[in-house]
Amino acid sequence: MRWFNIFVARLRALLGREAVIRDIDEEMRLHVEMETEANVGRGMPLVEARRTALKSFGTYDTVRDAAYGVRGGGMIETLLQDIRYGARVLAKHKGFTAVAVLTLGLGIGANTAIFSVVNELLLRPLPFPDAERLVMLWEVTPEGRRENTTSRANFRGWREQSTNFERMAAFSDQRLSLTGGGNPEEVSVQLATPELFRVLGVEPILGRGMTEEDIRPGAPEVAVLSYGLWQRRFGGDPQVVGRPITLNGAPCTVVGVLPAGFQWHIRKRSGTARPAEVWTVLTMPTEGSGVRGRFLSVVARLKPGVSLEQAEAEMKTIHARLEQDAPQSNKGYGTEVIQLREQFVGNVRPALLILLGAVGFVLLIACANVANLMLSRAAAREKEIALRTALGASRWRVVRQLLTESLLLAVLGSLLGLVIAWWGISALVAISPRDLVNLQGVGLNLTVLAWTLAVSLLTGIIFGIAPALEATRLNLNDALKEGSKGAGGQGVRSSGLRGALVITEVALALVLLASAGLLMKSFDRLQKIDTGFDTNNVLTMVVRLPDGKYREDHQMVAFFRQATERIRTLPGVHNAGMVNFLPLYGGLGSATGFTVEGRPAPQPGEEPGTNVRVADAGYFGAMGIPLLRGRNFTELEASEARRVVLISESMARRHFPGEDPLGKRINVAMFEQPTPTEIVGIVGDVRYDSLTDAAEPTVYFPHPDLTYPFMTLIVRTAGDPAEMAPAVRRELSAIDPDQPVSDVRTMRQVMTDTTGRARFNTLLLGFFAGLATLLAAIGIFGVMNYSVALRTREIGIRMALGAQQGQVLLLILKQGLLLTLIGIGIGVAGALALTRVMTSLLFGVEATDPATFATIVLLLAVVSSIACYIPARRATRIDPLIALRYE
Amino acid sequence: MTRQKADLLQGTLDMLILKALSLGALHGYGVIQRIRQMSGEMLEVEQGSLYPALYRIEQRGWVSSKWEVNETGRRAKFYALTRVGRRQLEAEEASWDRLVLAIAKMRQAT
Repeated sequence: MRWFNIFVARLRALLGREAVIRDIDEEMRLHVEMETEANVGRGMPLVEARRTALKSFGTYDTVRDAAYGVRGGGMIETLLQDIRYGARVLAKHKGFTAVAVLTLGLGIGANTAIFSVVNELLLRPLPFPDAERLVMLWEVTPEGRRENTTSRANFRGWREQSTNFERMAAFSDQRLSLTGGGNPEEVSVQLATPELFRVLGVEPILGRGMTEEDIRPGAPEVAVLSYGLWQRRFGGDPQVVGRPITLNGAPCTVVGVLPAGFQWHIRKRSGTARPAEVWTVLTMPTEGSGVRGRFLSVVARLKPGVSLEQAEAEMKTIHARLEQDAPQSNKGYGTEVIQLREQFVGNVRPALLILLGAVGFVLLIACANVANLMLSRAAAREKEIALRTALGASRWRVVRQLLTESLLLAVLGSLLGLVIAWWGISALVAISPRDLVNLQGVGLNLTVLAWTLAVSLLTGIIFGIAPALEATRLNLNDALKEGSKGAGGQGVRSSGLRGALVITEVALALVLLASAGLLMKSFDRLQKIDTGFDTNNVLTMVVRLPDGKYREDHQMVAFFRQATERIRTLPGVHNAGMVNFLPLYGGLGSATGFTVEGRPAPQPGEEPGTNVRVADAGYFGAMGIPLLRGRNFTELEASEARRVVLISESMARRHFPGEDPLGKRINVAMFEQPTPTEIVGIVGDVRYDSLTDAAEPTVYFPHPDLTYPFMTLIVRTAGDPAEMAPAVRRELSAIDPDQPVSDVRTMRQVMTDTTGRARFNTLLLGFFAGLATLLAAIGIFGVMNYSVALRTREIGIRMALGAQQGQVLLLILKQGLLLTLIGIGIGVAGALALTRVMTSLLFGVEATDPATFATIVLLLAVVSSIACYIPARRATRIDPLIALRYE
Repeated sequence: MTRQKADLLQGTLDMLILKALSLGALHGYGVIQRIRQMSGEMLEVEQGSLYPALYRIEQRGWVSSKWEVNETGRRAKFYALTRVGRRQLEAEEASWDRLVLAIAKMRQAT
């Protein structure tokens, strides 16, 4: 309580300063009066009595000050004084203040914006209760493919044999067409075991979730809706529970609605690449073909106190048992347990941390710049500081006042920074790739504000402390003497510190530039990859036929054939075709076994594998995939199964070396019965898995041979492909008005989506590196400019003694470039050490790529030469006469 | 100064002020007088150090102050010991006694 009384007393003194002083004065006046009276009482004459009383009281002002020191505002009061004074100083030097605040604002703004993303993705708790106990369970294939889906049989084994998990649920995403209650549309549906919502800890806001009852054979089909779908399609109807809907032609009943904001989407191995809007029950037959197929993702909740390692160990044991039980399907498979947050953001963490580091560097450079400005100004304020010291201010007192000023600047800078961050965050969200988790929730919240405040206080101290200490380390006599400027005062003594600041800035900028350069180069490599197809003027869309409507293969074949024919006749369409999965779609792997007729059968487990695609004759032309040898599919193959295939170049090279594959017959394990097909042509390689994975051998079947209920239409247009979309949709609805279409994208968009993350990282790091370089250039310019001002007299003397303009220019340039070179040297060493952490973000470029480093070094050298050149030019214009008379 | 005086030991001023006030409320001048009387004219507190000390003690809650007019019709700020202050005085006196005892023992030991 005592400190509280003191605090209140001091606060009261702050508000009623005059009253406190009056009180003290009055008390002391009365004290002197009493003593005077006492002296008179002892027989002194009045005048003498008064003088004696005053004398014994001591120096009145000192006594009063000491008393006020106890009762006054204390530290708070001096702080307020300092702030008032600092504000006046800043207001007076508007140019200085503006530059400093702008610099700090940029640095702090960039930091706040990136931190808000880091906070959202890496720090904020996931929106599930006790989310740290949620884990994903995956298999690892014998080829080492990680995060692979599991089978029903294995899931059942895990669930029954494990003891470390509270609950476990399996799920799988599918796109199904939804009818009933509005236009037909294709929605992402998650088939899940009934425990899913209980594992995740989510309660429906309407109706119920799925129960064990729903999974029994013969139970009516039920569906749970997402909040979004409920609002969008059913207008938030509170009576929605019990309504019938149709999924792919199968009727089912809505039994519940999930809360707003609930989203459960594991991108990895998701068949739909977008969050589910409907949940239905995943049936779990114990027999039949569906038991061993691997298509399930599994989420589980650890029991409290169980560690990840324990869970991993147990899973390993269980899986070994499953391998023994069913070697034919489980041989060589392993398991892995991944924490949910790791699953969500594991792959963006390195990029985010690097970006956070980058903005940290930008802020440090900004600090160095402001520190430089403060130093220059401290030189100008030398006399003021000397005077304060001479009048009895302690060094600590002056440092405190200067630090208050820098903190004031930092706070102003962070206010501007918040505005910049606010803009920056919207820009970030706008350019963020769609697969970079959900950035919509990113914003300025309390955590972010606290971070900004901490950053600004820290920056205030970082850029303020060195100049303040430097400024107060002065020789009173020198400073107070007239004409000491430039001769031996502040400026010259602090030049070491300035040089250090410039070196730091250059080094930091170099690290950033090198990182950005590497990313740019790898992004360029990414763009230049030969994907095997032509991205220009291609429109794509997915058409999925509802199960109920087209039961027979020939119905599906007819629909798609009719569709492509109609589209081809549209004006502005060069060519149209179809394929089941687009290039770059990824995620499917490529291991369908095949055998070549006439060759000895390979050992079991050693069959060669191939990608399998279903396409029509128009696909290759529309996609710009060249036919290298043989012939394309023809009209004959478009309507009935003729048992012919096309193969890709790498297939021919890898599996038919030194032979002509044309006319050879292969047996691809896509059919229940061995079905030999004849190779009639060879087409160019296409990257189907991803941009960065080399093209895998591929076999193309015509649609009638291998019928799929969904196809991606490929339309090559004369003009802007996006503009053709409505016309193409019209043709499709002319065939069947109820037919939904999804994923309408141009091939360019597909590419952009694929490279989105790389573009995002490159853009941001490039921007920050540019900002850093600009700030560093300003810093170099400021220091050199100031140095020229300090050396005016010296340069004047040199010129008076006959130095040529060129020599003076060189003198200044040399000084600046020396600092730059030292900075570059340190920067290169730092960058070589630091860019290693970026390896995971790079493609086709070494983290120590010499060409990139050389370019960056050159760039920085040029920039700093320009920054030095301007002050150097100014130095050559010095008139010796004026320079020498001055001072 | 003809009178021999004892130097004030650092940190004892608070205790002296509290002791002076323990007999009744006083104004600042009165505190000095009372200390002089009670110490047999041996201790003289300087005004310059009295008031900061008084204010500090007041902030700690050991004394309370009030502007009053006393029986002689004089207006002055009177300080009175609070309950906390009385406890503090007892504690300080006890600790002082211990110190004196300890020093006395040390001196007798030689």
